[in-house]
Amino acid sequence: MTFDLDCYGDGIAALADQAGDFDLRSSTDTRDWYTRTWTTLADTLGFTQALSAELSRLRDTDDWPRSIAMAGVAAFAQSLRNRRHGATDNQALVQSAVLRQLITAGRERGELWRVSVDPTALETGACYADEHGLARAFYPDTAPGYFGDGWTGPPPRAESRCGWQTPLVLHLGTFPWVYSSRLDGVGPGLRWSSPAAAPAVDAFRIVASALDPTSNLRQDARQVAAIFLHFRAQTAPLVARLPLYRPGVAEVGRLHRRAGLLHVHQGSLNVAGLDGPRGHLPAPAYNYILRRFADFFAVRRATVLAQAAWTPEMTRIASASPDPCLRAHAEGVARAG
Amino acid sequence: MNRSLWIGLGASLGIGGVVFLGSRRASAAGASPTGQASELAPLPTASEATGDLEKNWGDTPVDLRTLFDKMQAVSRIAGSARIFAIIAFRESSFITTAHNGNAQGEQDERDDSRAAYQNNKDRNPPLKYGEQAAEFGSGGLFGALAPYFLWTGVPEVGKKAPLLGAPPELMFQPRAAAFGACVYLQRLLKHYRVDDHADIKAGWANPALLGKGRGSDSYNHVRARFLEDAINLGIDLLDTSTIPPKLSATAWPGVPAVFADLVGALPKELS
Repeated sequence: MTFDLDCYGDGIAALADQAGDFDLRSSTDTRDWYTRTWTTLADTLGFTQALSAELSRLRDTDDWPRSIAMAGVAAFAQSLRNRRHGATDNQALVQSAVLRQLITAGRERGELWRVSVDPTALETGACYADEHGLARAFYPDTAPGYFGDGWTGPPPRAESRCGWQTPLVLHLGTFPWVYSSRLDGVGPGLRWSSPAAAPAVDAFRIVASALDPTSNLRQDARQVAAIFLHFRAQTAPLVARLPLYRPGVAEVGRLHRRAGLLHVHQGSLNVAGLDGPRGHLPAPAYNYILRRFADFFAVRRATVLAQAAWTPEMTRIASASPDPCLRAHAEGVARAG
Repeated sequence: MNRSLWIGLGASLGIGGVVFLGSRRASAAGASPTGQASELAPLPTASEATGDLEKNWGDTPVDLRTLFDKMQAVSRIAGSARIFAIIAFRESSFITTAHNGNAQGEQDERDDSRAAYQNNKDRNPPLKYGEQAAEFGSGGLFGALAPYFLWTGVPEVGKKAPLLGAPPELMFQPRAAAFGACVYLQRLLKHYRVDDHADIKAGWANPALLGKGRGSDSYNHVRARFLEDAINLGIDLLDTSTIPPKLSATAWPGVPAVFADLVGALPKELS
């Protein structure tokens, strides 16, 4: 039985194709795909060497997706220790506490890609103390951006001690680019660390979990598809203006389109970007975000097509899923026997 | 700073090669002015690195770290990778096609390259694209002045210097710019009094600042700005595990070896 990803929207199957097809029942196929995917991810975030060191310690395992995810998170945590801390202890500790609550709630709803909450309902109020008084622990990202048209409400039910007037919204599926309206060159989430806490690692685990077959099934793919379709609508006109990369005739230093991604010929992708009505979009962020969406749907497709090898837990997740595409497929396969 | 003085000193000191102009952010070149640059190998990737790409790089672009690392490995100047990163941060903001001389207000850059060419063409081997280099200004990742960039290696290997037949736009290709920067750094380290890392940037701006100009306002200004750049970029110059207290070019393998490792063979029409 086939599984048509376009059930989630036009072009979703083509998006997954960008990440490459693989068969979860083949250990070689799975190992190759995950190793390639994690290496590309690490290249963008700058922890290739830490990942390579972790991978060299990995022994043969039956569950390569889970093993490489653990190695990837450990490598990311290691590389974060080599970066400048971007938060004070007070801020990072509050961020950690908030993320814990958001992730717990998001997991229950099957919506971890984008999490949102009324900050005044949180124990910390998503506020932390700095030298000027109380400040918001996260950026109030509710203006129209690349992931959505903005979130105006509902407004906080109680008065915020640090000035929250909107919900707290984070896009953890594309961490460290967590804000829809502020896509800095260095992903803002990479600054979520201090000597006392590393909330960035907690958030990065969500990126890793999207690649884990079981966790991938838990995520309502309709949420991911909706955000992707918005991202594509906002970025397609900007990307269409770029020349197509052709070896031998590409212009040195210029941003090109290459295999669906952005590429600077003989230059750094990290200093290039797109400018549009929704603000600046750094080129590495564009590639990384697109890959996160593509990888998510590639794993979704591979997982569904490997239904014969599902664990009882996966069967339970699929049959109880609010996602009609997944449920219909799972039920169809069960009926077919 | 007196640019004509820099050029004069560069020539009279017999450098005959690259003089890098400090102190300004470059404008990006949208296109190669003459379209004559030929294709070199792409930037090295992380899998080719021999050094640490994660420690003490600050906000240095991830995809350029391997180039800086390779420059350090090839030149055998321990600790130079992060110094090159700080220099590129100032000279080009990491834009490989940075070009000083193609904008309205950059007449002085063209004047400098014109003077560099006119004052030195009789004492150096001829450049195939000398006239274009004279009108080019400066640019690339490390802010090289075009005629000196093309004469890179002349003091070391004379007429066998590898860029004599190349157009100035070649400096927009990071491997070629890296070659010029490596040669220049070893020259500074070998032939000048370099007391600390900030002295390297002073010499980069103008080698005379390491001689008679030492202690001058310009010298102090360039040094202070370099130290500030390091802080802004997030590189700790005091981290001796990645940058020794003093850089040394005693293990320098020679211009041909550095060129071969960084650039490889130039296309036939340029060699």
